[in-house]
Amino acid sequence: MKLKPSVLDLKWTEVETKIRRFIKDYVEKSEAKGIVLGLSGGIDSCTVASLAALAIGGDKTLGLLLPEQETFTTKDVEHAELAAEKFGFKTEMIDITPTLKAFYDSTPIFKTTDKLCKGNIKARTRMIYVYYYANRLGMLVCGASDKSETMIGYFTKWGDVAADISPIMDLYKTQVRKLAQHIGLPKEIVTKQASPALWPGQLAEEELGIKYETLDLILYGLERFMKTEEIAQQLGAKKELINKIKLRWVSMEHKRRMPLTTKMQYRTVGADFRLPRTLH
Amino acid sequence: MKERIKVALAQISCKQGDKAENIRKIEDNVIKAKQQGAELIIFPEFSLTGYTVRDCVYELAETIPGHSTTVLEKLAKKTGTYIVFGMPELSEKTQATIYNAAVLVGPDGFVGKYRKMYLPTHSVFEEKRYFRPGCKAGVFDTKLGKIGLIICYDIFFPEVSRLTRLKGAQLIVCISASPATRRTFFETLTAARAIENTAFLAYVNLVGIEDGLQFWGGSRLIAPNGKVLVKAKYDEEDLVIGEINYADIRPIEAFVPTLKDLRPELFDELREAAERL
Repeated sequence: MKLKPSVLDLKWTEVETKIRRFIKDYVEKSEAKGIVLGLSGGIDSCTVASLAALAIGGDKTLGLLLPEQETFTTKDVEHAELAAEKFGFKTEMIDITPTLKAFYDSTPIFKTTDKLCKGNIKARTRMIYVYYYANRLGMLVCGASDKSETMIGYFTKWGDVAADISPIMDLYKTQVRKLAQHIGLPKEIVTKQASPALWPGQLAEEELGIKYETLDLILYGLERFMKTEEIAQQLGAKKELINKIKLRWVSMEHKRRMPLTTKMQYRTVGADFRLPRTLH
Repeated sequence: MKERIKVALAQISCKQGDKAENIRKIEDNVIKAKQQGAELIIFPEFSLTGYTVRDCVYELAETIPGHSTTVLEKLAKKTGTYIVFGMPELSEKTQATIYNAAVLVGPDGFVGKYRKMYLPTHSVFEEKRYFRPGCKAGVFDTKLGKIGLIICYDIFFPEVSRLTRLKGAQLIVCISASPATRRTFFETLTAARAIENTAFLAYVNLVGIEDGLQFWGGSRLIAPNGKVLVKAKYDEEDLVIGEINYADIRPIEAFVPTLKDLRPELFDELREAAERL
C-alpha cells in the first residue's frame, strides 16, 4: 500500500449522507428533542453542528459557545456565528470565566502555572455546561472529536470528548477539512488552524510538532497494521517519529475506554457485559 | 415444480431485540409482496431480532420449529407463500448453544433450516463468541424448485455455495447483514457465486443502523450468467420482485459448463493444503 494523500480521499457525498443518517437515527431512537454541542468556532465543532442541522433541523441543534477570558478571540465567535447563520442552527453564548475563577479560588492545590491541568479544567467545565443543557432540554450531547485527535489522545479525558455520540470520530482531521469544504462551510473555518483553546496561543500542530497531513498518513498506516519502518520509509520520515506517534496511540487507550475494573463476578461492566447500545 | 417463479427481496430494517415488531414488519411485507404476485419472500439475516443483539441473544434465541417459526408458518399458510428469514436458533438439546439460522417456511408449514457455517469473528463481528457453526448444506425441495440457503459471510467461501448447488439447489438464497464498508465485496461475490455455479442467486441484505453499523441494503436477484435481474435500493427499506425462469440455467450451463468440468480429485489436495496453511 502506498501512503499518499489520496488514500484519505472518500466519497464526500456518501460520507455526508452517512453522518446525517447516523445523527437522525440516533436522535429518533433516543427520543431526544435535539442535539447540543460545544461550539468553539473551530472546524470540528462547526462541521458537526452543521451536519446535525442538516440531519435534524437547525431548530433542534444548539451550539453552545463557551468562551473564557484567557483564550477568547472574536474570530472564534465570528466563525461559530458564520456557521450557525449558514446552516440555521441555534447558538447561545455563556462566558465561563466566573465559573473557572470560582474553581481556581476554591481549590487549595490549584496552581496557575500548571497550564495542562488548568486547561483540562476548562474542557471539563465546558462539558458540564453542555451536559446541563442536554439534561434540562431533553437533548443529546454530540461530540466533535476527530479520529486524529482521538487516536493520539489529544483531548481531555471526560472533557471535550464526553458525548453521547461522536459523528466524525472515524474521520481524520484532514478528512474533516474536506468534508467541511464539501458541505460548504466558509473557507476561513475550513482553513483555520486547530486549537483546543486550553491556553492562550495554543495551536494543535505546533504543540504536536507535526502537520496533520503527515500525522494522518502515519495514523492511516498504523490503522492498517503497517510496520513503523514501512511507514517511515514511504513518508521519508524518521522511524523515531513514527514510533513516537505509535507509542502515543497505544498508550492513550485508557482515555478512550470505560474505566478499568478488576474482574470479580460473572459478567463485568466494560469487559464481558455486552449489550447493544440502542435496544428498545 | 414450477419453472417460473416470482421472488420478493424484502429489504427491511429491524428493531433490535424486538421480535414482535419485526414479525409485524415481516407480515406487512409478505402481504404486500403477495399482492404483487410473489411466491417466495426473502428477509435478511437475523430479521427476527436485528443483527446486533450481543448478550441478549440468549434471551432471544428460540428452537426451530418454535414459537416464532410457528407464527411465520401460519403466515405462509395464510398467504400461500414461501418465506425465508433469519433468527438465532437455540439447540433443542442444550440451554445456551445457539446457531445463526435461516428458516424456510411454506404453504404446508415448516420446510427446513440452515445453520451458518462461516461465522465472522473479526473487525466488528463477534459471531463465534455466540454461535456454534453449522456443518450441513441447506437444500430443500419445494414446489418452487430446489432452494438452497446460505448466510452472509458464507458467500466468501465458494465451497458453501458449491455444495449447495451440488446438492441440487437451482436457486441459492443468501440472507445477509452486511455493513456498508463491505459492499464492494458482496457485489462482486454474489455475481461470482451465481456464475460459477450456474444458478440463480437471491441476496437479501439488511438496512438501517444498529450500534453505529450502517447496513447497505442493495439486495439483488442474479441470473446464472451474473446479470442482475432486479436490485433494491441502497441504504433504504425496499421491496423488489423479480422473476426466475429455471429454463434459463440450461443455456448458461452449456455455455460455461462449470459443473460438468468440476474436478473432484482436486478436493483432496485442496483439503491437505488448507490443513497445512
